Amino acid sequence: MAFHGYEEVEHTADVALRVWSEDFPGLLSQAAKGLYELTDIDSDTNSTVNRCFFIPSGNYENEIVDFLNELLFFLEEKSEIYRKFSFFERQDKLEVHAEGCKALSQDRYIKAVTFHDLNIEESDLGLEVVITFDV
Amino acid sequence: MGDTRRFSFGHASSSSIFASQALLQESLKDKSIEQAVNASSLPGLVEAVMVMPDMHQGYGFPIGGVAATDPETGVISPGGIGYDINCGVRLMSSRIMLDEVEGWLPDLADALNRYCPSGVGVASDLKLSKEELADACVKGSRWAIGKGFASEEDIEYTEGKGCLAGADPDKVSQRAMERGRNQLGTLGGGNHFIEVDLITDVFDENAARVMGLYRGDLAVQIHTGSRGFGHQICTDYVRRLQSAVNKFGIKLPDKQLVCAPISSAEGQDYIGAMRCGANYAFLNRQLLADKVRQAFESVLAGKVDYWQLKQVYDIAHNIGKFEEHLVQGESKTVCVHRKGATRAFGPYSEDLPDKYQEIGQPVLVPGSMGTSSWVLTGTETSMKRSFGSSCHGAGRVMSRSQAKRRVWGEDLIKQLAQDGIEVRAGSLPGLAEESPQAYKNVDMVVESVVGAGIAKKVAVLRPIVVIKG
Repeated sequence: MAFHGYEEVEHTADVALRVWSEDFPGLLSQAAKGLYELTDIDSDTNSTVNRCFFIPSGNYENEIVDFLNELLFFLEEKSEIYRKFSFFERQDKLEVHAEGCKALSQDRYIKAVTFHDLNIEESDLGLEVVITFDV
Repeated sequence: MGDTRRFSFGHASSSSIFASQALLQESLKDKSIEQAVNASSLPGLVEAVMVMPDMHQGYGFPIGGVAATDPETGVISPGGIGYDINCGVRLMSSRIMLDEVEGWLPDLADALNRYCPSGVGVASDLKLSKEELADACVKGSRWAIGKGFASEEDIEYTEGKGCLAGADPDKVSQRAMERGRNQLGTLGGGNHFIEVDLITDVFDENAARVMGLYRGDLAVQIHTGSRGFGHQICTDYVRRLQSAVNKFGIKLPDKQLVCAPISSAEGQDYIGAMRCGANYAFLNRQLLADKVRQAFESVLAGKVDYWQLKQVYDIAHNIGKFEEHLVQGESKTVCVHRKGATRAFGPYSEDLPDKYQEIGQPVLVPGSMGTSSWVLTGTETSMKRSFGSSCHGAGRVMSRSQAKRRVWGEDLIKQLAQDGIEVRAGSLPGLAEESPQAYKNVDMVVESVVGAGIAKKVAVLRPIVVIKG
């Protein structure tokens, strides 16, 4: 198994991803990559977008769901996808700096990120989680 | 035929499954039954969690689940209603015979595709101000009357007359309002569709006649919900209630089952917001129905005598409602969660229009793309056994990635064309995900609910034009 990555997990009606990484920021970045792959996006690689947003601090499960839901919102409302992330712990929130490009079209719509059976577990490689998305 | 099995695994309540042996075997292959058992741990259930034969694995609740809770001691669970609040189906009838319009079907498919915005990220031609959206959320389908997008007859033949009372826009987040402003009157993607169907079989001549359905005529189905507006409402409250379960000391086997006591401020806030989502969805299908009528007029006016479409019924299959039901022999108000299950009220029930009092409520059961759909009616037995609920569709058996590996979108369009079905789809991979092979046989699902007595057969519809996002 690579040090970090993601793979699709079979689900009868929706879609799910297994994501792993050595640390939590890495887990967030890998989950974002997986999410964008699931949505099957055609992007304008000549464009550049930057965005800063905040996630309320809490447990890791809440933070990963909030983070991915933010990405879905910016994809739907601003047609933006992000490839590079920087994370900064603030007093009661996680500050996210995201850099990416404009999305031109997408083939699959993801309604939301769910909490279904969501447990971030520690393994020899770091952290691992299965995330189920409603489509 | 239909059978009921009761499972109990030491939780507070139990689960009842309506399914034939074959469908039950199929359901054991995924987590749907485990999810039904998990849902039975919700506090304040008045009876077992019911599962319909089109059940399949969801997230938290199984798709096909029905759970009724006590308003005083029970909870409301956003996950028991789903992200697509009031996803549902509308059926419209016509007196158009297939042979009158057969040559115009490609034009009709193109017109429907042009008039009805569909697909991922496609916006409406209607952009509401925040105040207009708040007004629409409170009024539901009736909002469309003053704007010329609906008739009184449309409203009369919609579940709850297209409006849940008590919708509270103040409980809806700014983000949901932002997402909802330009999505009214859009179909979306995924399994949502607009279909022109041929009525091929009638099993109950009287009920079909009352609904205006005649063998050989065309009908139209619209399947969609509350779009990003509803998704955001559910997202907001599933997140917010993560802490509420700790506050109220509720222990759950799955975080997606989060809930709050109905009587709590958190529960009441969600109910007010959820009703906004439900009303948005009723209005969304109403606005799409108006666009479908425009498309029919643009192609068929002057070519056939009667091109008009009349509302048969509009029904939700993801919703939470307070209804009167018999619980242990006594009439009681309960909060019925339906997640991938259709209300199926029997004859002489409250909320049925006069026209449907004797036959019971129309129950709309779309099949998978390319296969038949069914029109059923609710029964006295559904009122006694399933909180007036029945199945909502075929139910998936194959994952989306499996379906895409086995089916090419181009091949599917050719196959459907050979079967006489005109398809317009925004996404070929999306079309492959929705291929008929990915779904259960809807006829077996219907035989199960009819065998269990919770619905009666009325008519069968075969698709001839399919619009997918």
